[in-house]
Amino acid sequence: MSVSVGLNCPSCGGAIQISEGDNVINCQYCDSLLWVEGDAGVITVAYKNLQDRDGVLRATEQWWRKGLKAMDLKKKGRLMECYPIYLPFWSTTTRVAGWVCGYEERHYTDKHGNTHTERIPKEEMVLRDYQYTNIACDPGDLGIKYLRNNAGEVSFIDFESIPTFESTTSKDEAVELSKQRAMSDARDDARVPHVTFEKITVIPKRLSMIYYPVWVVRYAYGERMYMATVDGVTGNVLSGRAPGDPLYQSLAVTGGTSIGGLIGAAGLAFGIGADDPTIAIGGLVIGAVILGFTYMFFRHGSEIIDGDFDDKKLGNPLKGFKIAGTKWRFN
Amino acid sequence: MKVLQIKCPHCQQPIYSKVRDLAFYCSHCKTMHIRDGGINVIDFDVAEFHTNSPPDRVYMPFWRLFSGFTINQSNVAGGMLNKLGRLLKDTANGGNIFIYIPAWETDVNEFKRWAMDLTEAQPVYSLRLDFNNVERAPTVVPKEEAMKMADFVIVTMEAEKPGTLQYLDYQLQVHDARLIYLPFIKGAGGVVPGF
Amino acid sequence: MASMKCTKCGAPVEFDAGDKFVKCSYCSSQIYVDRSGAGFYYALPFAMGENDAIGVFRRWGGGSNKAKDLDKLAQISSLKKQYFPVYMFKRDVDGMEQVHVEPAASTTLPGLHSLKIPGGDLKIFDDKFDSSGAELIKPDIEMATYLSDLPGAAKEQALVYFPIWRLDYVFEQRTFVVVISASSGEVFSADFPQRSSVAYMAVAGIGFVAFLAEGLLALSSPLPAMIMMVGTVVAVFLMANFVARRM
Repeated sequence: MSVSVGLNCPSCGGAIQISEGDNVINCQYCDSLLWVEGDAGVITVAYKNLQDRDGVLRATEQWWRKGLKAMDLKKKGRLMECYPIYLPFWSTTTRVAGWVCGYEERHYTDKHGNTHTERIPKEEMVLRDYQYTNIACDPGDLGIKYLRNNAGEVSFIDFESIPTFESTTSKDEAVELSKQRAMSDARDDARVPHVTFEKITVIPKRLSMIYYPVWVVRYAYGERMYMATVDGVTGNVLSGRAPGDPLYQSLAVTGGTSIGGLIGAAGLAFGIGADDPTIAIGGLVIGAVILGFTYMFFRHGSEIIDGDFDDKKLGNPLKGFKIAGTKWRFN
Repeated sequence: MKVLQIKCPHCQQPIYSKVRDLAFYCSHCKTMHIRDGGINVIDFDVAEFHTNSPPDRVYMPFWRLFSGFTINQSNVAGGMLNKLGRLLKDTANGGNIFIYIPAWETDVNEFKRWAMDLTEAQPVYSLRLDFNNVERAPTVVPKEEAMKMADFVIVTMEAEKPGTLQYLDYQLQVHDARLIYLPFIKGAGGVVPGF
Repeated sequence: MASMKCTKCGAPVEFDAGDKFVKCSYCSSQIYVDRSGAGFYYALPFAMGENDAIGVFRRWGGGSNKAKDLDKLAQISSLKKQYFPVYMFKRDVDGMEQVHVEPAASTTLPGLHSLKIPGGDLKIFDDKFDSSGAELIKPDIEMATYLSDLPGAAKEQALVYFPIWRLDYVFEQRTFVVVISASSGEVFSADFPQRSSVAYMAVAGIGFVAFLAEGLLALSSPLPAMIMMVGTVVAVFLMANFVARRM
């Protein structure tokens, strides 16, 4: 990501392009090598807000129609207020270099019913950069813990007019967290089930602070006040709470009990009498899992939650605060 | 945030470069410095080209890590060659070695290839005092990062040999890192050594 | 904006919450804003008004683990707009920065002991600050009581006024309290009327067992089993709908 941040070359006055997190840059006009010094060693960038009030409200109304939210939300929902804020995020690049060695066990059953275990030795190299973002203040009930988007125009133009949440967490903690996270992601990526030897070096490469524009929308449904947040760059809804619908809850549990019950019954019907109890148990387990999921929706589906909320019981648990591991290059 | 022009700590002349280079070389007084927490003037080596080298010459930067290294135990499934053992001259399984870390912008395979090749077959060259107006590739790997890559190079050498590495117990201390510019010839398929 | 005296020429210099360096407009010297001593006061603005706070409470009260109709039946007995003081300590521990947040006033209110770090647009709190009618809770815990237990050396410390709505409500003759962060809308509560899961589990359990039995019955007598299944679908749906709406 190369961006213009409104800084000028001290030698020739030309506007300079910097990459997020890079201390050393060369001026494209006069070839001067330049040193960028951030506050307390941290380079700060802010994304330009590209959304306006109307667009944000439209995005919220569209979000109301999606998913299993209350069916009358689009009629009864009343938009109350809508304002942009800048949220601070730590953005880190962490390089991982190392080897994970060990073995994988495979089991074979021959025609006499004897099981053989084969050990396949494995040596896996891990060498890549991991990029993470992590919110730098307590997000409270905003439901945002990391950034989904890392493309956009960087500019401090709106910095004065949009309220800015100050960063209140420690930068060293952010680096430490990224190191731990990169270490465990690298281990997962190596895919060695039984590790006999491992040497992984974790190198923090870059740390910067990103101020990202987010719109907060509050809306009422009946007497209740709900909220949603909208990405100020992409215009997508990032997080939010919305009322659910008892009809969907009832349909879910009806479906779950019938499908789950019948799969369980099928398992029992085919499994009982056979030598192998796996079919009977498997059928019951699959039935129970389906029942479990639909029960959770039935029990807690009166509020639909999107985003990184601590009290979220439904939906896919999003995997941490990772954006992406990038292909490794020395750059 | 503020932006400063990088100047030579020795003669105060500004330093110019067409590309981003972390090794700041002053063409006036031939001083090189890096900024790793502070402003530090560093020593560096420039190797002489082979006398009959073709004209497409380029200097590639390496961090040469002077390291103490001991293998205590190594277990390789299905292999027997010991590359590392051959490198250690003092005793059978311990001694000092130079580890070469490519410092320019490389991809994974290039990085592995040059690190392995030069660490295994230590380059022999005579030194000169300046770059003799030969183009040099920019350094993009900071010294500290190069020093941290030592373990990776060592384990890679053991893992890349025939067989599958299962266990390796070794000790490695990186004592010092020195920036070395080695002569290369630009060709169609990349660079080839010119020393 | 707050101001301090230029360390070089003594002229007043204005600076804002995030500034680490300021430039003196008289003598042009760069001044480091030293925050390692005590004495910095910040406040977060109220992002939510009274009606918003009540609405957030009703939304929270309608949550799936709250007593049924808590949002409608709870009688709000008082609603107070308050600034609650917390200390924010930035410490240098072996070269690593750590942030600690501790309450600056003794309180039994939920959430305020475990506040991580209040997120918000920090404003410098001085006599010009508009507290918009909120009651200021006086800090009654000295900063010194925490300082002795904190690791490392001081880097920055400040008193931050955190905007809250303190809401007391009565439900079935009992009084409860919630604290609503007026910055993010987060609701803190220690104790609240719970909703039982029994009815939900009963519907799911009965439905599952019924379908299991009917599925097995279908092996021997498919037609009666099919008819029973259709009946069970309708029954489970009606029960579930009743429970989801009314229990």
